Amino acid sequence: MQPGRVAITGVGETPMVRASKQSLLEMTVEASLAAIADAGLRPQDIDGFVVNRNSHSADELGFAMGIERRPFSAITDTVGGTGPTGSALTLAQLAIEAGLCRHVLVPYGFQATRPGGPYGFHSREPLKADLEMPVGFFGQATYFAAMANRYAHEYGLSEEQLAAVSITFRKWATLTPGAQKREPMDLDAYRASPMISTPFRVADCCLMTDAGAAYVVSRADAAADAPHPRVLVQGLGLGTTGYPQSIMFTQPASIFDYPGRESAAQAFAMAGVGAKDLDLAQIYDGFSISALVQTEQLGLCDEGQGGRFYAEGHAMPGGRMPVNTSGGHMSGGYLPGITLLIEGVRQLRGQRGEAQVPDAKLCAVTGLGGNSHATTILARS
Amino acid sequence: MGIPIQPPRFDTDLLKPFYEGLAKGELWLTADAETGAWIWYPPEIVPGRPHATLAWRRASETGVVYTFTRVERSLLPGDHKAEVPFTVVLVEPDDAPGCRVPGLFVAADEASVACGLKVRLHPVQAGDHVVAGFAPA
Repeated sequence: MQPGRVAITGVGETPMVRASKQSLLEMTVEASLAAIADAGLRPQDIDGFVVNRNSHSADELGFAMGIERRPFSAITDTVGGTGPTGSALTLAQLAIEAGLCRHVLVPYGFQATRPGGPYGFHSREPLKADLEMPVGFFGQATYFAAMANRYAHEYGLSEEQLAAVSITFRKWATLTPGAQKREPMDLDAYRASPMISTPFRVADCCLMTDAGAAYVVSRADAAADAPHPRVLVQGLGLGTTGYPQSIMFTQPASIFDYPGRESAAQAFAMAGVGAKDLDLAQIYDGFSISALVQTEQLGLCDEGQGGRFYAEGHAMPGGRMPVNTSGGHMSGGYLPGITLLIEGVRQLRGQRGEAQVPDAKLCAVTGLGGNSHATTILARS
Repeated sequence: MGIPIQPPRFDTDLLKPFYEGLAKGELWLTADAETGAWIWYPPEIVPGRPHATLAWRRASETGVVYTFTRVERSLLPGDHKAEVPFTVVLVEPDDAPGCRVPGLFVAADEASVACGLKVRLHPVQAGDHVVAGFAPA
């Protein structure tokens, strides 16, 4: 894959809400139509789909949007934040570079309030049902809290440092219309947040969100007359570990060693840039600890220095490396990965009003999901 | 301390020997039947060796806490408000380093839990079943 061959030309989403009255299909279609319109296209211009394996098929979405001709469609095999970011972009770029299509739609819908909620798929794992659930080791907040305690053991991590991650993203959310949590949060407010699983408070966790989001990936030369500045895909990287979902929270040599360095190295190599060249980053924040570790893995600070990086305010508005400038998933809303990618596009277009990072030209977006990790480098054309 | 009441589901009999061991105060894990190397948790297929079989092997009842968390809001399906708080540990048995066994932390002072703490198997009665528990050694 070559840098700069495809561009993200359209983005769209529905309001981020705790519980929507809309169906998953309605939200996904509404967001898709918004993204297509944002690209200056009509639904019939879409000739490729990359859908998520946990969402609606291209058949159903195409039918709902009146799209009959569909020479390319694919399903991402990765989960969480990886699927709708790096994995979907990789498939879209491969198809576009191969000449199969010109405008690929990546639609995504998510309902945290669906039956079973976000924990349902873990409870279906027989090994978890037999070994972990009987002792209460269950649910993402508990798994990642255990990672945080191990990280603290290995590198040191104060309450203030961990809190700084949540406080930073909340600060950006206060500047973002449509963010789910916009009330200001300082250390006292953080400490008032209910404890879930030590050291995690509610404020350390991503939100429960119902919404749809989508973006359009276009052949770069087919995007020349798009209504907004082109945002080019300069780098793509995908890392994986060998651990399946059933054991990845307990048995890896290190339970917080996500394959983020691997994905970042690939993405930077493809883009021909390094971490020092970035103007800002959107980092997958399922939880404060996972954002902190990925910040290190992306190279924004040294290993073991993530807590200090956030506590010193580098990721805050006005800081040297703004991170999660729409509030991320912990304060903005949780549509895994895709809303971070959309925020990166809007920043590079210069559309972010109060939260605009001055002269933003290069943005990294990361996604973590299961045992996979994606890093994407976006650039203003 | 609270005790979560969530019996093992036993979709299959695979993990029953683990619980039969706990009932006797013993810790049994799975290993490669041929080489004796620990393979934990028991996978449906031994990685890279699809025709290999697993055997149960008794592990040391003493070990070290790899990590922990004190659960104040249980995320288990159903209503578990009355069962919190409890502290969960992942323990590496002394003779099976790298194999992590989830269990409840049993101590008068639950705040004494820490990574690296030496612990001993201390099965816990949870309703009408027994689950893994570990107490300071």
